[in-house]
Amino acid sequence: MNSEALQLFWSFGPFVILLSVIGIYCILVTYNLIRALIGVEILIKAVTLLIIVVGHVTGHTALAQALVITLIVIEVVVIAVAVGIVLGLHHHHDSLDIRKLRNLKG
Amino acid sequence: MTSLLILIPLFSVMVLNLPSRTMMRRFAFWLSLILAASQVCLAAFFGTDLWNNANISGSFFQFNLAVDNLSRVMLFSIGIVVLAAILAGRELIKDENRQFNFTNLMLLILAGMNGVVTTVDVFSLYVFMEITAVASFVLISLQKDRDALEASFKYIIFSALASVMMLAAIALLLMVSGETGFPGISHALSNLPTSRLTLLAVSIFICGLFIKGGAMPFHGWLPDAYSAAPAPVSILLAGIVTKTLGIYTLIRIVGFVLSPNYALNNILLLVGTISIVAGALAALGQKDLKRMLSYSSISQVGYIIIGLGCGTPLGIFGAIFHLFNHSIFKSLLFTNSAAVESRTNTRNMEELGGLAERMPCTGTTSIIGFLSAAGIPPLSGFWSKIIIVVALWQAGFHAYSAIAVMAGAITLAYFLSMQRRVFFGKIKEELKSTKEANFNLLLPALLLAAITVGAGILFPFVHDTFITSFFK
Repeated sequence: MNSEALQLFWSFGPFVILLSVIGIYCILVTYNLIRALIGVEILIKAVTLLIIVVGHVTGHTALAQALVITLIVIEVVVIAVAVGIVLGLHHHHDSLDIRKLRNLKG
Repeated sequence: MTSLLILIPLFSVMVLNLPSRTMMRRFAFWLSLILAASQVCLAAFFGTDLWNNANISGSFFQFNLAVDNLSRVMLFSIGIVVLAAILAGRELIKDENRQFNFTNLMLLILAGMNGVVTTVDVFSLYVFMEITAVASFVLISLQKDRDALEASFKYIIFSALASVMMLAAIALLLMVSGETGFPGISHALSNLPTSRLTLLAVSIFICGLFIKGGAMPFHGWLPDAYSAAPAPVSILLAGIVTKTLGIYTLIRIVGFVLSPNYALNNILLLVGTISIVAGALAALGQKDLKRMLSYSSISQVGYIIIGLGCGTPLGIFGAIFHLFNHSIFKSLLFTNSAAVESRTNTRNMEELGGLAERMPCTGTTSIIGFLSAAGIPPLSGFWSKIIIVVALWQAGFHAYSAIAVMAGAITLAYFLSMQRRVFFGKIKEELKSTKEANFNLLLPALLLAAITVGAGILFPFVHDTFITSFFK
């Protein structure tokens, strides 16, 4: 990989890092189940952006597009199942507070 | 031929859910049973030539799949554990609707895991891992009780973080090597000088796999998920799912794709040792039978990781063999715990005792399982542990090998205490009426026990068939 490509990469890189920091911060500070899932979503968006940037930098645009579309489909499936489980938890606890999930010891 | 391993379970799920599904309901169990059993037979009796033969339906559905001996071992264990879980599920999941959902998810998970072990591309690997993971989220919360939902949510968050790490690593590897296939990445990494970017990519990839496999500093979700899941699902999760998602992938990436790397091996040795010791010590203090088995699972995963970490072919072989043994004896022990739970309605070891008298078959097979796990000859667990210890000693890691041997004593201690509290001793008054478990739970237990004993006694055969092929 040449230095020109690396330079092009680092002109987009800070946004990827910024998005992932926002996502991790969101997961760490929230006490709400849905917000935790939103944090996960933001993290996945950061990775999606990273794949697009890498495709642009290396010239593998078609491969990157194929990967990103697959990734979006999978992400939707995971989040749909996760929201179903949050619904189930809401049914049991009548709240979305993570602090109520203390039954198991970890 | 190999693509059929993924396509047949997928099409079965579709056919079972066609509008006439009330009629299909009766066939679901037998169909899944036949699929799992035929996978076991095919993986056991046919060599890799048949699998990779392009002439048999090769042009029908093309994508990058290949079977080598490691995949064959994994296909065999996937088949056998899924078989055990399906039989246990027929016994333990009473509701007919739920039973049907369970069978469908089982077929999906079978397709996903077959994909994970046969693919030769990092991105497809991620896709199949996610299929397996989503099916297991639903399986854990199948009964919709509070603990299971909580465990499932924890698993989702941890697993999503691991996926994000893996995807970031895949993107960086794509940047370094320009493609996502295993041979391409391996070729590019061995030709390029080690840059910081490669190191970052590899380390976050490994970190994600540690989370998926539940190695000790990353294990937060694992004991909860194993113990809160319904009994047949814990057999499947502990036996094969986390091993395929985390540990098999780790072996594949570290042992076959990346070039040997001193720093990486040190990380593996360190994480493996922490898992062995801390997992075993945590297992000593548990009262719940399934929680104890889950911590023991973490400890055994540590052995696999240090075997891999010593970097020699013998160590990698030891890791693969222990992976196989672990999936057999851990599903055996979880089947036994399911049998005990179904008869006594409790998993608290303080309330149990003397069950060997009432449940002779379950008691005997659990003794075989725990002796194999603790590494007592001539059972198969002994051979894989001794290979790992010898490989560590040969590679010059004397301290790690001493720790591995001594942790074997702790393993024996917690398993003996489990046996004493559950199966040995005088039977308690309220347990006098306990009966032996049903046939559907005894059959998998006997089958798995037979494999453990067989692979131990026939070790020269296993050695000649597999070791030689790994030392090319």
